[in-house]
Amino acid sequence: MEIRIGGVKELQNADVVQTAGRDIIVKIDGNSHHVTLLKITGNEIEFILDSKYHRAIIQSGTHETKLLIDDHPITLKSHPNLQEILKRSLSTEERGEGGDKDIKSQIPGRVVNIMVEPGSPVKKGDPIIVLESMKMQVAVKSHRDGNVKQIKVNKGATVARYDIVAILD
Amino acid sequence: MSINSIAIYSDEDVNSLHVKFADECYHIGPASPTESYLNIDRIIETAKKQGADAIHPGYGFLSENEGFVERCEKENIIFIGPKSKAMELTGDKMKCKVLMKKAKVPTVPGSDGTLEDVQKALDIAAEAGYPVLLKSAFGGGGRGIRMASNEGQLKEEFEMVSAESKAAFGKSALFVEKNLENIRHIEFQLLLDSHGNGRHLFERECSIQRRHQKLIEISPSPVVDAKTREEVGEIALRAAQAVDYLNAGTAEFLRDQDGKFYFIEINSRLQVEHPVTELVTGLDLVKLQIQIAQGEEIDFRQEDLKMHGSAIECRINAEDPFLEFAPSVGFVPNCNLPYGPGIRVDSYLYPGCTVSGYYDSLIAKLISWGKDFEEARIRERVALNEFRVEGVNTTIPLYKTILNEQNFIEGRLSTDYLERFGLIKKMNEDAEIEARRHADAAIAAFLLHSVFVQNTNPMDVSRRSSRQLSGWTGLRSERNRRM
Repeated sequence: MEIRIGGVKELQNADVVQTAGRDIIVKIDGNSHHVTLLKITGNEIEFILDSKYHRAIIQSGTHETKLLIDDHPITLKSHPNLQEILKRSLSTEERGEGGDKDIKSQIPGRVVNIMVEPGSPVKKGDPIIVLESMKMQVAVKSHRDGNVKQIKVNKGATVARYDIVAILD
Repeated sequence: MSINSIAIYSDEDVNSLHVKFADECYHIGPASPTESYLNIDRIIETAKKQGADAIHPGYGFLSENEGFVERCEKENIIFIGPKSKAMELTGDKMKCKVLMKKAKVPTVPGSDGTLEDVQKALDIAAEAGYPVLLKSAFGGGGRGIRMASNEGQLKEEFEMVSAESKAAFGKSALFVEKNLENIRHIEFQLLLDSHGNGRHLFERECSIQRRHQKLIEISPSPVVDAKTREEVGEIALRAAQAVDYLNAGTAEFLRDQDGKFYFIEINSRLQVEHPVTELVTGLDLVKLQIQIAQGEEIDFRQEDLKMHGSAIECRINAEDPFLEFAPSVGFVPNCNLPYGPGIRVDSYLYPGCTVSGYYDSLIAKLISWGKDFEEARIRERVALNEFRVEGVNTTIPLYKTILNEQNFIEGRLSTDYLERFGLIKKMNEDAEIEARRHADAAIAAFLLHSVFVQNTNPMDVSRRSSRQLSGWTGLRSERNRRM
């Protein structure tokens, strides 16, 4: 299994090599570790890794797993061929295909202004719409040069994080 | 003080902490502030119906709205703060500047009138030289201030600040000032009663800012000695007296590299950072506000006040410091507020609360006190480690980095501190170190989870029973519903 910890550049290799009741042996980047499960309640896990106690809260998502390890937030991606997948998605981005047309909002908020009309040319960094959230006005900007094909939201509408607000051609 | 407290709340705040703690609580409208917390008619109507003697406006919303103060005066409700006339003067930065010049209070060199259109702004900026600060005359607390480094940026920001000012205050009047470099923001807490007494409660240094929003406030300032404190404190009081100010207020100054102070504005309300002053003076500012509003006289002399120890406040905002401080809202399944000697937390957070996108991103204030700056710093740093908020991103990681940063430790502060010393980059480096430190445990937890939870047979009894025992599954479904 290939694993990427959010914020850490290189991938890590990790697998369960042996299970015996509450004890498992895991191998992380070639090093063996002894893990003893103490308690699982829903998504809360208490365990001893080698000789140190840890408490984890796990939320599995479709693309990544969010963990709180001893109150410290960590995101984790895993796949048997993670490296391949990451390479592929990177090259898709480089070729300017797929999701590249979509302008997505990075925050939830209410649309207070639409700065461009469909058909108008925009440059990378141009504000497309302005959102208001927590009394702040935040512009959603174009991530590349292009022409605006469609504005997907109306003034006054509420958008969620990662919603597509406009489409470039 | 044996005063009954009445809370008002919007639809969005039904489950808020202030509603639970008040002696009485009344609903005043929908989530949108214009229909509730900014709805003067509705608030006055509620106050009269319930027989309220006085209104404490807090900070934000109507706390600096002279129309609201005027209305309270007309309806014979005590407004805990200055009179409407003083509020009007302090609220209009241009009018205020003129009065200060008359009172021989030094002001920032720059523009002397508001700008109706963007062309005028461009002309003045061209003359003063970029970068310039674009400010709304009705702004406050850092809202409605933007920096522009060139013409294009100024045009763009002019639109934005106009819109923000109109949205927040219903009106817009902008002015331009040359941006001074390597400056500190130092302010003086003031207290004036209706018997002609005025006191300054020393300074707070609020130089650590992001986009003119204060992030960290400390008292005393590392560059203010007893003599300066007395001198500038006097000027601050003179500024307040020039607008016939009453009750608690703050005179804000910029201090340049040569140690010169320039008055910028009077904040006509209790400020977010007031706990810092409370901790170093031992005074209860809200209690004093109420006593002054009741017509009582301030019962201590200026020379009775002693600066005691050192205090630091970090504003915990629900913003993602790793994503350009984007607002972060939602359900908070769990949280842990730190405590211990010299630690104070002012917050509305509790396990199961919701951080709303309708209101300000400030969710908590973490304030520490120590016998000196170093003790306060260590206490603040430890408390930041113990401060935990699940479900939303906060500015805590940035504060952890700042509290350990050498320039902060040595008091080399300026309003561009974050950029000058590359704090965002340092925060990202710290985050990577932390992630590496927890990586093995995270991987172990992930593998345990896949062995004991995900890969088990759904009919397996042990799994079912563990689900039933869990409080977390319940919380999770609650969260999904809210989203």
